[in-house]
Amino acid sequence: MVRMLTIDVPKWVLALLNNIYDLECKIHTHGDLCNASRNLTKMKDALAGEGLFYEDPMGQCFKETRTDLDASISGIGTENLVVIEVIKPIIRHGTPEFSRVVQKGIVLVKSKDEVN
Amino acid sequence: MNKIINFGIDLGTTNSLIAKFDKGHVEVFKNPNGFKETLPSIVAFRNDRIMVGDPARTYAEKDPKSVASRFKRKMGTTETIKLKVGSKTPIELSAFVLKELKNFIHSGESVESVVITIPASFDTVQSNATKEAGLVAGFKQVVLLQEPIAASLAYANKEKSINLRNSQWMVYDLGGGTFDVALVKIIEGDLTVVDHEGDNYLGGSDFDAMLLEQIIVPDICRRGKFTNLLVQMKSEKGKYNTLWYRLLHAAEAAKIELSTKTSTEIDINLDDEDGNLIDTILTVTRSEFEKVIKSAIDGTAEMMKKILTRNSLQPEDLEFVLMVGGGAYIPFVRKRIEELMGLRVNTSIDPTNAIAVGAAYFAGTKEFRDEYDQQAKPKNDRHLKIRTVFNRNTQEDEETFTAKLDGDISGLFYRITSEDGAFDSSLKVLSNRISEDLPLREGAFNLFSFGVFDVSNNPVDVGFDSIQIAQGRYSVAGQMLPEDISLVLDDVSKKDTRLQRIFAKNGVLPTKGKLSVEVAKTIVKGSNDEIRIMVVEGSSERHASTNKPIGILLITGKQINRDLIRGTEIDLTAEVSEARDLTISAYLNGTGQEFSQVFKGTERQVDTKALSTDILQLEAKVQAEINDASENGNQESAQGLERILGRIRGLFFECGTLASDDVTDDRFKLEDKKRKIAQDVFELTSSKRIDAAKVAYDTAKADVSNLVSNSGNDREKHQFREIIAREQTFIHSTNPERIEAVITELSQIRGRILMRMPEFLVGMFEHLIEKRASMNNQVQAKQLFDAGKKHILNRDWDDLKQVNGCLWDLMPDDAHETDDMRLYTGIV
Repeated sequence: MVRMLTIDVPKWVLALLNNIYDLECKIHTHGDLCNASRNLTKMKDALAGEGLFYEDPMGQCFKETRTDLDASISGIGTENLVVIEVIKPIIRHGTPEFSRVVQKGIVLVKSKDEVN
Repeated sequence: MNKIINFGIDLGTTNSLIAKFDKGHVEVFKNPNGFKETLPSIVAFRNDRIMVGDPARTYAEKDPKSVASRFKRKMGTTETIKLKVGSKTPIELSAFVLKELKNFIHSGESVESVVITIPASFDTVQSNATKEAGLVAGFKQVVLLQEPIAASLAYANKEKSINLRNSQWMVYDLGGGTFDVALVKIIEGDLTVVDHEGDNYLGGSDFDAMLLEQIIVPDICRRGKFTNLLVQMKSEKGKYNTLWYRLLHAAEAAKIELSTKTSTEIDINLDDEDGNLIDTILTVTRSEFEKVIKSAIDGTAEMMKKILTRNSLQPEDLEFVLMVGGGAYIPFVRKRIEELMGLRVNTSIDPTNAIAVGAAYFAGTKEFRDEYDQQAKPKNDRHLKIRTVFNRNTQEDEETFTAKLDGDISGLFYRITSEDGAFDSSLKVLSNRISEDLPLREGAFNLFSFGVFDVSNNPVDVGFDSIQIAQGRYSVAGQMLPEDISLVLDDVSKKDTRLQRIFAKNGVLPTKGKLSVEVAKTIVKGSNDEIRIMVVEGSSERHASTNKPIGILLITGKQINRDLIRGTEIDLTAEVSEARDLTISAYLNGTGQEFSQVFKGTERQVDTKALSTDILQLEAKVQAEINDASENGNQESAQGLERILGRIRGLFFECGTLASDDVTDDRFKLEDKKRKIAQDVFELTSSKRIDAAKVAYDTAKADVSNLVSNSGNDREKHQFREIIAREQTFIHSTNPERIEAVITELSQIRGRILMRMPEFLVGMFEHLIEKRASMNNQVQAKQLFDAGKKHILNRDWDDLKQVNGCLWDLMPDDAHETDDMRLYTGIV
């Protein structure tokens, strides 16, 4: 479940960012035939100008102390977990120097031993 | 609650600024009156009013005797600034500026602690004086930071994408009144000032004076009748004294305008000596101004070259020259330095506020320690105390936070959560030692809350509640020593003194060092004999007289509870706190007593008696050098030394008129003069001493080489080989003392080998027989001689060595080399 933290960001903004992320993933997988990533970057920049940006946790380590991710563990192992799939990215509000999480990332994690 | 300092102050010679760090950003506060970031470092006292900054500057022209400026140049001396209201010390005046800066803080926060910047060239005494000014201004804690480091921090935080790891650069700071250039390097992730040069009397205001003296005044002289206009302007009682101040202001305005325009105009309006009005406009071009300041700028480039030479660097080894201070605005300065040094000049940071911004970045990583507060009020009834360890700046993506807890921790829990909502340690049982790996966001200031809770989840105050870690930032490990700190010892073999380094330049504070010395002469209980534990600051490779004294711990015969026999060891502990206070403790092994003294050193301590001895010693040394130079036909050196001898004699005369309780600052001036003379002597004689040392080294090497190969053991052979292996590092040194130190090592090896050789021991024994008549205890001497002869017969060489030692001790004091010299410190 996406949990709102201290900053109240309208849902439609979060939806917009989630969809930009989805589009980026699709372009990454299927290729950018019509140069759409340029437009996506511009949209992202516009939102970053308002202090909103997302972070892709793909491949990052997951520990029980991470509260910026809602993770579902796939497989058997529960140690050395890494993010193997991102359903929703982490959305932050602020500046690169200091920001707060406004949407937790929703991810699937798996033990590194099983991934390899 | 733990607090971060967050506030940084650039306490400048001409202008001061205050800035605050807040969650990764720095705000430079503006003056509520006038809305500028800068506050002129000027204080005026008029009609019971104390004015600081621009209003004070206004009166600098009209009523200069009520206004004090440029007092930073006098920090750390006992010199006072004489004003109509009485004398003020540089510390008092600086405190007024600091207090005024507090008014800039529009948020109304009270500032309890602050980072204040100091030039790299500030010595311990000057640094302590700055700290003292902060305390007088009401700050409970003052942390000092070197200005080139502050400028570099401002740069590194602005240009985050540029990787400065393993790089070095120069910070060129041409301020209003001082010039400082420093070589800055990142060593193991910490910003460090490796070397520096500077001129405390060169800055923008000197350029104003140059413009006035070399262009404006000559032009006025051409337009009217004047006799000695410049003298009349500069003299306090001169007819045109007010004109000096008026035109100085105009010259400054012209200088500023010439930074952006190619020419400027100055209004001139005055009567000449015949009463004719001169009312004209003088045009000054940029090229005229450049001509005036050219030699001064070339001089700064010379200083940069000196740093490069000293550190065996080429211009291409440096990334850039980071220019800060008002001088960076002058196009010619940038162009000329680029031209002369062949280096890229970097002006990407705001030259005016860079130092304050850097100070604030540093303040954002420093914790405020309110010692009084912590001692007075226990935070909780469990007497819980916490000590934490973690890096506040790191290049890693994870940092381990560790803490040690004392007190009753039963039934308690702790929890660490990140302020950005990305980390929660959950509740964990509190133990005496806790450790947690904290994930860090790249390039961000990571804030975490730390809390201790009881079983009912009620918070327990332990006096620490937040953890702040900056990722991707370079840290400044601590205050650094600008010079070596050394102990002065008697060097019996050279009949002089030598320096034993206690702390090396650039050592990070706080630091502690231990060393053992020996008493060089017996100190009789109750007598006036004394030993001087004298600590100096400067290059430890030079002579003591070229260093600046920090303090002397005197131990006299009246203070000791039994005689202190020659050769008794004294264990010395020296400690320098982060605030640069030096504590010297001396434990006398012979009497079991301990003496300790803290040298706060906000003012230079000079003992007039020690000063006279010093001057006498210098005179004897120079006289000997003159004789030597004359004998060798080196007339040029001899003449130079003769001139120095004249200066020394004058100095000695001046010193003779000083009372031991002299209250004026004359002793400091004399001490300064003495040090300068000693440096001149050192320079003049160093090439001669190097040549002599090289010859002596060659002789000693050949001598020891034979001895070692014929009679040396494995250890001695290894030591000798090791000396030869590093020969290249000292033989080309410009410092004769480095070569002399190796000669001492060689003679020690030689001594050890000889002491095992029967023929040497027999020879020594025979020499002692010749001296028998003068020995102190004839009965004991006879017994020893009998024993010695027996040992020779039995070929008991070890026993003969013992006998020789005992006989040597029976020799009268004047036979010992030690007493041939007048001991200066009484310790070796």
